[in-house]
Amino acid sequence: MATGTVARADVGPPGVGETVMAVRGLSKRFGKGVLAVDDLTVSVQRGEVCGLLGPNGAGKTTTLRMLLGLVMPTAGEMELFGERVVPSGDVFRRVGALVEQAAFVPYLSGLMNLRLYWEAGGDPIDDADFDTALGVAGLGDAIHRKVKTYSQGMRQRLGLARALLNRPDFLVLDEPTNGLDPQEMRAVRQLLRRVADHGTTVLLSSHLLSEVEQICTHAAVMDRGRLVAYGTVADLTQSAVSSYLEVDDPARATEVLRALPGVVEVVPDGAGLSVRLSGAERWQLVDALVRAGVKVGTVTARHQLEDAFLGLLGEETVR
Amino acid sequence: MIALLRTEVIKQARRPRTWVALGLMAAIPLIVTFALWANPPQLDREGGRDLFYLATRDGLLLPAAVLEVMSRFLLIAVAALFAGDAIAAEASWGNLRSLLVRPIRRGRLLGVKLTIAAALGALATVIIVLTALIAGGIAWGWHPLDVRQFAPFVGIPYQSVGTLLGHLGIATGYIAWSLASIIAFGFMISTMTDSPAGAASAAFGLYVTSAILDNISAIGVVRNVFPTHYIDAWHSMFTDGVVSSDMWRGAALQVGYIIVFCGIGWWYFRRKDVMS
Repeated sequence: MATGTVARADVGPPGVGETVMAVRGLSKRFGKGVLAVDDLTVSVQRGEVCGLLGPNGAGKTTTLRMLLGLVMPTAGEMELFGERVVPSGDVFRRVGALVEQAAFVPYLSGLMNLRLYWEAGGDPIDDADFDTALGVAGLGDAIHRKVKTYSQGMRQRLGLARALLNRPDFLVLDEPTNGLDPQEMRAVRQLLRRVADHGTTVLLSSHLLSEVEQICTHAAVMDRGRLVAYGTVADLTQSAVSSYLEVDDPARATEVLRALPGVVEVVPDGAGLSVRLSGAERWQLVDALVRAGVKVGTVTARHQLEDAFLGLLGEETVR
Repeated sequence: MIALLRTEVIKQARRPRTWVALGLMAAIPLIVTFALWANPPQLDREGGRDLFYLATRDGLLLPAAVLEVMSRFLLIAVAALFAGDAIAAEASWGNLRSLLVRPIRRGRLLGVKLTIAAALGALATVIIVLTALIAGGIAWGWHPLDVRQFAPFVGIPYQSVGTLLGHLGIATGYIAWSLASIIAFGFMISTMTDSPAGAASAAFGLYVTSAILDNISAIGVVRNVFPTHYIDAWHSMFTDGVVSSDMWRGAALQVGYIIVFCGIGWWYFRRKDVMS
């Protein structure tokens, strides 16, 4: 696992075209039952932070498990750094992973767990990035306590720490903020941004659309095992940029706004108006309304990715 | 490989349960010693074949007496316990999935886990013998064994201290080796389940089933392949002073079971979907 500092130096700046992960036609059927993953084709380039989105049962976890060599695909190909994925193969020197709930040997301390995890690979202990790991875990003295005494949040942070021990080039995370309180979630998101800035490619799955919107550069949307959409977060959200306004004169406001270029649609929405935009900015709406003498109370952005997401899935599939 | 073995040994060594099980292996011989010392059995017609009586005359025979008792139940249970843990413990903790996302092949992990299960079984056996040897030596001393004074007796009449120790060594090795089929079976089930207790129970269940069926003479010559059929063959080391042909058969039988059970476990685990 000695990618270490030496390997980092020859990686170079994130550039065009190195494909970190590619799957083609990936499928998984459990027994004779349902196809959990159906003909999935997607890839992640270096430097991207790709979010895997989808409702429960969409096949996100199964996909990640296959990628990590835990589950055997029924069909299709998977490559990491251009090499075919072999379960527990050498390519995993460059990969860090956290799959579902972080788990450890319960009767050993957090520190002992990390140390034994690293030492089993046979590399010197100094090659491991314990500074980052312990910083990420943020457990203080608790690192010396047995893991069975930890809360879920502590385990999750320790799991992230473990994933970062080998200074991975590719980080695969299944619901990384699961079980964390809002402060911890923010800390993890900031960490992921920092990690991405350093050139680590990230693939994470999440239920939390706002999280994907905040951290990710790209998103892949899955539903019932199939890939429904893939693109940059900006592209995916462009079709559903919208705003919500509360005004004192809805009729006049509607008139004014409809006349603006870049406004697609204005519809009444509860106490206010919902405005769908395509090119116009929120401040332009406010500016136009104020000039027309309309008083504006509230202006908020809609959950853009949520709209896109739900739109892609179709209302009837929302569970 | 060495590094992996070392970390796995540390994992077992730091587990309280390991020490409790091994401690039990030391405690029982001490209890037996004390019981025999406080209440020695009388010489009866079995005389020269009654290991418990002989133990009170010669501490060197105490390990044999203790093994007689423990190798039929407790030692098997402890060996099954360690074997059942091999993979299933990691699966039950949820840790297996993180162990496998490392550049350490599944086959290597299996090999190391099996080695440790086997080593613990052997260690349990050795602890029994050493404790009994020392306790017997303190209580009754080590003497050469001359059974001519205890009639009736068939077999070699005289064994020196050195010979007795040698025979004890061989018997210990044979018993430890006889655990192999149970350990291999426990290991195999361990690759298939998330419950270490389930795997241990299955291994112990194999022992019990084999022992029960072995007693049904109607089954006939098929009994010769039951894993526990030759489990008592080591008696010949003390009664007759020779390695009997049954001991050779018993040892060979274990090899067959090791190949079959470990082979199945290996084949299964290599292609298993790890969902735990």
